[in-house]
Amino acid sequence: MKLRTTKYFIKEGTSNLRRNKVMSVASITSVIAALLVIGIFFIVVLNVDYAASALESQVEISVHLVNGLSEGIINAMSGEIEAIEGVKEVVFVSKDVALKNMKQKLGDKGYLLDGLESDNPLPDTFVVTLTNPQKASSVALALNSMSSIEKVSYGKDELEKLLKATYVLRMTSLLIITILLFISIFIISNTIKLTVFARRREIGIMKFIGATDWFVRGPFIVEGILLGVTGAVVSTALLGGGYLYTVNLIQKQMLGFLALSFMPFGSIITSLAFLLVFVGIVIGAIGSLLSVRRFIKV
Amino acid sequence: MIELVKVNKTFDDGHKVLKNINIFIDKGEFVFLVGPSGSGKSTLIKLLLKEVEPTNGKIVIDGKNTTKLKRNDIPYLRRSMGVVFQDFRLLQDKTVYENVAFAMEIVEAQPRDIRKQVPIALSMVGLSKKSNLYPKQLSGGEQQRVSLARAMVNGPSILVADEPTGNLDPEMSRDIVKILYEFNQRGTTVLMATHDRDIVNAMKKRVIAIEDGVMVRDEKRGGYFDEA
Ligand SMILES: Nc1ncnc2c1ncn2[C@@H]1O[C@H](COP(=O)(O)OP(=O)(O)OP(=O)(O)O)[C@@H](O)[C@H]1O
Ligand SMILES: [Mg+2]
Repeated sequence: MKLRTTKYFIKEGTSNLRRNKVMSVASITSVIAALLVIGIFFIVVLNVDYAASALESQVEISVHLVNGLSEGIINAMSGEIEAIEGVKEVVFVSKDVALKNMKQKLGDKGYLLDGLESDNPLPDTFVVTLTNPQKASSVALALNSMSSIEKVSYGKDELEKLLKATYVLRMTSLLIITILLFISIFIISNTIKLTVFARRREIGIMKFIGATDWFVRGPFIVEGILLGVTGAVVSTALLGGGYLYTVNLIQKQMLGFLALSFMPFGSIITSLAFLLVFVGIVIGAIGSLLSVRRFIKV
Repeated sequence: MIELVKVNKTFDDGHKVLKNINIFIDKGEFVFLVGPSGSGKSTLIKLLLKEVEPTNGKIVIDGKNTTKLKRNDIPYLRRSMGVVFQDFRLLQDKTVYENVAFAMEIVEAQPRDIRKQVPIALSMVGLSKKSNLYPKQLSGGEQQRVSLARAMVNGPSILVADEPTGNLDPEMSRDIVKILYEFNQRGTTVLMATHDRDIVNAMKKRVIAIEDGVMVRDEKRGGYFDEA
């Protein structure tokens, strides 16, 4: 496509918008509303994912061993556990080390544990980290079938709840986002239909003096994309401002530990802007293509 | 060059509008297409422009069988023909100059060619002085001259006119036909559908007459009515 043709498309597309001011503003407003909801879902999903992956990376299985195993057996077991599918790392924590760790945690109350060294009630333990939290139950099963193991424990219920919740959240937002996309395409297409209708005579003239379909469509596609992108820019700005404000508010309310698990503003705003502008371009283009379809067949 | 071979057109409602039409028009000919209202003249022109598809038969334009043309190639067929209608079909929000230039912009011509060709086309139709006026500010004859300039500015080899003088008084009509004749003298093939018997009789050009969808006459130097 030639540069001056692009210029012509942009000139005509923007003049379509101006000629059709009221409808253009109305449809940008609707696009903003739709993109705001899409953006909110996006932010929530991103943050839940962020929190979930932070939690997921902490998932570890602790394996309590029966008392009095020899170093040879422990080494052999460690090798055996490492060989289980889904295991990333196995760290052995002897009962002596475990006691020391506990003492350290208690700080100046550590004296409470004095005298336990000779009759340490804590078990020897393997701390097993996983390549993927989804593997937790199968690894736990394999561990349970090994001998010399007293107890296998991990935050099973919490983890499963979290995984299920993120799944449900993702699916719901996908559904709602799809519906909203269709609505926005419908709104844009109806706005442009008005321009197309107003210019149907002109379209007919263009066609019989030999304009290609793409040449006829060009200005309307520009019009649609401008509607979509304007909506995207405004909603990105609103969402960005809203996000900063909310995160700040939560931090001020002494809920600092919550804010810790929010995604940093910088990384969320760029992906949000890219997403919404992309969505704006796509719905604008599709909406305009739908609206010219009927009139171009001359 | 225009050729129709055994062309039939039946509309979806079963109306047989053209029946077994065979026409051969050579390069550089000037041909009148006459016939009563509803005889099928406009339909024949729409077939040439591929605005309407023939039910069967073959249409060849500039050596190309247009019945086999794909949808995407139709614009290029139309660019090889200039078209003029009874109702001018000008863009009201563009000036005379812009209306003519638009036909070149659409085919993505070079701006410097546009600046060169548009004034030439406007002077050929005698409208150089009115190039900055809008269609509303022109008489019917002048508007039709703008549409003639637009039809010719890309230098098509064929000019098709569907009752170009239908809305004009006799004097203006003669101007339009004079311009068509000049184009023809420069080598353009002209096909003009018309009801205007004075013009047809005065020009003594080839006349093809259709009645009720049937070609009833094809005379080398004919008049509006069959004199035989
Ligand atoms: N799309 C259509 N569907 C059905 N019938 C049609 C259609 N277009 C034209 N016709 C019919 O075809 C016949 C020929 O129409 P056409 O416009 O070709 O006549 P014409 O010779 O140009 O007449 P006029 O001199 O009045 O312009 C008419 O009877 C008309 O009703
Ligand atoms: Mg007609």
